[in-house]
Amino acid sequence: MSPANSREEVLEAAANLRWEVGPDLHDSLMEALYTDAARISDRVLSRDDARPAFDLDRTIDRLVTSRWLGFPIMMLLMAVVLWVTITGANVPSSLLSSLFLETLHPALKQAAAAAGLAWWLDGLLIDGMFLAVAWVVSVMLPPMAIFFPLFTLLEDFGYLPRVAFNLDRWFKMAGAHGKQALTMAMGYGCNAAGVVATRVIDSPRERLIATLTNNFSLCNGRWPTQILIATIFIGSLAPPALAGLVSAGSVMAVVLLGVGGTFLVSWGLSRTLLKGEASAFSLELPPYRPPRILQTIYTSLIDRTLIVLWRAVVFSVPAGAAIWLVSNTHVGGASLAEHLIQGMNPFGLLIGLNGVILLAYIIAIPANEIVIPTVLMLTVVSAGLPGVGEGAGVMFELDSASATLGVLEADGWTLLTGINLMLFSLLHNPCSTTLYTIWKETGSVKWTAASALLPVAMGFVVCFCVAQAFRWLGG
Amino acid sequence: MKPNPPPGACEICPAHHSANLKRLGVNMDRYHFVVALAGNPNTGKSTLFNSLTGLRQHTGNWPGKTVTRAEGGFAYQGSNYKLVDLPGTYSLLSTSTDEEIARDFILFGQPDVTVIVVDATRLERNLNLVCQVLEITGRAVVCLNLMDEAERHRLTVDERSLARELGVPVVPAAARQGRGVPMLIDMIHQVATGGFVCKPHRIQSEPPALKRAVSLLVEKLGAAFPDLPNARWVALRLLEGDARIEEAVRSGELAGLVRAPQGAATAAPAEGAG
Amino acid sequence: MNELTGPLLAVLAALAIYFLFRPGRGWLERWRRRLRLSDRVLSEDALKHLYHCEYEQRVATVQSLSGALGTPVEKVAGLVQRIEAGELATSEGASLRLTPKGREYALRIIRAHRLWERYLSEETGLKEPDWHKRAEQQEHRLTSSEADALAARMGNPPFDPHGDPIPTQRGQLPPRRGQPLTSLAVGERARIAHLEDEPEAVYAQLVAEGLHPLMAVQLTHVSAERICFRAEGEEHVLAPIVAANVAVVPLPREQPVEESLETLAVLEPGQEATVVGLSPNCRGLERRRLMDLGLLPGTVVAAEMRSPVGDPTAFRIRGALIALRGEQAANIRIGSRRQVA
Ligand SMILES: Nc1nc2c(ncn2[C@@H]2O[C@H](COP(=O)(O)OP(=O)(O)O)[C@@H](O)[C@H]2O)c(=O)[nH]1
Ligand SMILES: [Mg+2]
Repeated sequence: MSPANSREEVLEAAANLRWEVGPDLHDSLMEALYTDAARISDRVLSRDDARPAFDLDRTIDRLVTSRWLGFPIMMLLMAVVLWVTITGANVPSSLLSSLFLETLHPALKQAAAAAGLAWWLDGLLIDGMFLAVAWVVSVMLPPMAIFFPLFTLLEDFGYLPRVAFNLDRWFKMAGAHGKQALTMAMGYGCNAAGVVATRVIDSPRERLIATLTNNFSLCNGRWPTQILIATIFIGSLAPPALAGLVSAGSVMAVVLLGVGGTFLVSWGLSRTLLKGEASAFSLELPPYRPPRILQTIYTSLIDRTLIVLWRAVVFSVPAGAAIWLVSNTHVGGASLAEHLIQGMNPFGLLIGLNGVILLAYIIAIPANEIVIPTVLMLTVVSAGLPGVGEGAGVMFELDSASATLGVLEADGWTLLTGINLMLFSLLHNPCSTTLYTIWKETGSVKWTAASALLPVAMGFVVCFCVAQAFRWLGG
Repeated sequence: MKPNPPPGACEICPAHHSANLKRLGVNMDRYHFVVALAGNPNTGKSTLFNSLTGLRQHTGNWPGKTVTRAEGGFAYQGSNYKLVDLPGTYSLLSTSTDEEIARDFILFGQPDVTVIVVDATRLERNLNLVCQVLEITGRAVVCLNLMDEAERHRLTVDERSLARELGVPVVPAAARQGRGVPMLIDMIHQVATGGFVCKPHRIQSEPPALKRAVSLLVEKLGAAFPDLPNARWVALRLLEGDARIEEAVRSGELAGLVRAPQGAATAAPAEGAG
Repeated sequence: MNELTGPLLAVLAALAIYFLFRPGRGWLERWRRRLRLSDRVLSEDALKHLYHCEYEQRVATVQSLSGALGTPVEKVAGLVQRIEAGELATSEGASLRLTPKGREYALRIIRAHRLWERYLSEETGLKEPDWHKRAEQQEHRLTSSEADALAARMGNPPFDPHGDPIPTQRGQLPPRRGQPLTSLAVGERARIAHLEDEPEAVYAQLVAEGLHPLMAVQLTHVSAERICFRAEGEEHVLAPIVAANVAVVPLPREQPVEESLETLAVLEPGQEATVVGLSPNCRGLERRRLMDLGLLPGTVVAAEMRSPVGDPTAFRIRGALIALRGEQAANIRIGSRRQVA
């Protein structure tokens, strides 16, 4: 008998035997395995039950999942993490930005002038690419370098699965997994990292939901936009004593809107697009383990912060070039930027934004960090304000909120523009770093496209409705 | 017949050998042996991997952290070992991607040694996976990790009886503190070089109908693939309709898995990545 | 806003034209294909009916066909003519029989149907009521090479989720398994192998009773009017004519009787119980996952804590703490509860 024949015979025999063993083969095999496992473990394992000791794990568990303390503890920890991140990031952020923008940038310009670099090369490389990278690094690095290690410490301790346990019920109602609470929280640091974190969700459908909705968590590149716009447009409406409170409240409102959006979209997705995806809930609550602080900080810097930062840098280089190019390429007497802004202005105004904002969101897609500098630069270019900023294609920020307000109002911004910019900053496509990450994680162009188009469409609709309501109310 | 010498015994603790261990990181192009790290999620595989290779894979107290396969290496007593950190799985019988990666590597990647990292505080569940791995390969070492946790919960594991039951070496360890790592390395070395001959445990409690079907198939498999070390497991997979295994039977790829008896593999350096 | 109206209308019109005439997938094209399809669908369904009759050794007639397809007899006569013209069936007097070619065809459709049900049950999140409906459509669309590819990807499953065998690539089916429930004696235990899905009224009654393949049953009372049995802790009563539509495989006597009605969902923190079985409603990925975690008959499970909002609950399962949602826990039957010491 030839070997190929005898091999076919094996398969044939297997196929016939499969009818005989019946449909519960897997069940009986698992039972056999566990019977063996239990028998062996009974023989070799002994427990010293002599003195009933204080069970630390169980005590902690009772505490962090208790009716009364579970949620307060959770919120307290989240508040501490956010507070440490925000206050801790301020100093290094301003140090970095003064190093990059006030020291390195002029120095590079001088060196370029000394070397006799062509003006366009100098502009493209230093004003375009360098500035974009500098901006991204100085805004992004410090908060991420603080937030992620803190988060990782909580993860290493074993607390995070308990958060998923506490919140699962609400996520279940939206067809999602409790662990999505953590990927959302991670998204407040950075959406790309949040998307990577969805790996801990082992049910395919729930993982896709968490991936597609992570963008509704306001990432740290968008916080500054929210805070700035809230301060100059909304805070200024309130009496000075309350201004801080009112603007903080409006940012919180946007954050909560994002949370609402997450649940709403999760609910919708699980009932429509993702209805047929397989789903299996399981959540293991691992034992508490004392975290190893130095190792954790090291690996979370390497694994999360630097990888994400690197991706953002890679993507911001071409964006910097694009930003510089559109404002310095002239066609028919006006720059490309002006043409584009003119072209998009009607649609922008229709939805309560303007052409500058739309263009800024298109060319600053690699990183939300550079949206405001780009908006300011484009505003100056299109409104032709003399004496403000650093020249065409050079992103900048102004030292005071009132100066910023002045520039924006000179270009016709109103309260509506401010409100809608805050909304649109929440509801628009994820940055290209995040999109790339989604593509890497899902391996699917379809889901990547869905995660980009869904929020923009929502953004347009919401902004349009707000604009209509605002105009109707005669605002 | 006398059982294998109890590997848990500490007279063979090779503490003095640890000086021989050089951490090679990933910079290794020549290795003599391939070692796979398998186990349930969250049992300390990555921690062990890091302490063996000196690399810093992400570890985290979450089931399901290691998703991609990480590789590194170490050298011990003149042999170079390539270490592969497999994704953590509860089982090798279901069909998730993780399980397929782990299963394919253990079966087709033919590691010289498979280290099964076991959480001593969840022994029963971990033994389920151990039993499955032992059906595939007998060249295994069980690393009884998290012994510090087990002690904290006042659990004692009789590692000698465990080794006897499983027929493979069992090394108690606490990877985080580095406890037991030198002895684990020595055991890996012994199994790889044939100093320790394993007699792996085989599933015993299948229902009679299943047993009958399996032995019928094993007979047929014996005719097609003489000396196949894991015919029973292949038979079980065929009965479950595992397409990958069917393909390996059809193409005869399975015949390549028949290897020289353990220990005969001389330490001839292999080139390139496996 | 007037200057916007023109372009807007143009865009809408373009979109409409695109969706109507899109090559291959346009609505017009689909509609035409559906018309053509419906003829084929009808004859394929007819072949299936003939095959089922043959498998169950019943006689197929134009009347039975008309009943099964829900189509008036006059229309069925034309259908039968077409089928006979295609040499897929022949008639001898009133009874219709498949030709070998027709049998092969029918088996191909049945294979596609059962494979698709299997696929939906194992690999998607769709629930039981959707499977049959979707498979009824998909069976006419899957080509046999697509069906083979699907089967290979799923590991050539031998059974569909109802416990019915899936014909092999070469159209083989095992002989019918099981004997009618009515043939058991009082006290005997058996496992349901198959629920006959025709006539529909009887099948509906079986489903309403909550019976499903793989369920263990034990006869408690037999008389000319009724047959009583326990299954998963519940008492069922069927008329013999209905019970005859349940095929069972006898089980060895020594296996313990599953007596319990309760599920893990009722276990309060601080209580423990032994698992008796996993409901067949728990299937696919989820079933495998739970079994991997060690949730099997005989496992002792203790409830440890409940989420502050009431769901999920964390259970100690073979040393590990695993959170399960209420509806998952409701699929796991347990024996009597006891307080943890
Ligand atoms: N107490 C203790 N913790 C450990 C030990 N080994 C690993 N860990 C911790 O267990 C968790 C999971 O480890 P990891 O290596 O990521 O497990 P993997 O999922 O199997 O790769 C981490 O928090 C480790 O710090 C050990 O021996 N003792
Ligand atoms: Mg790992």
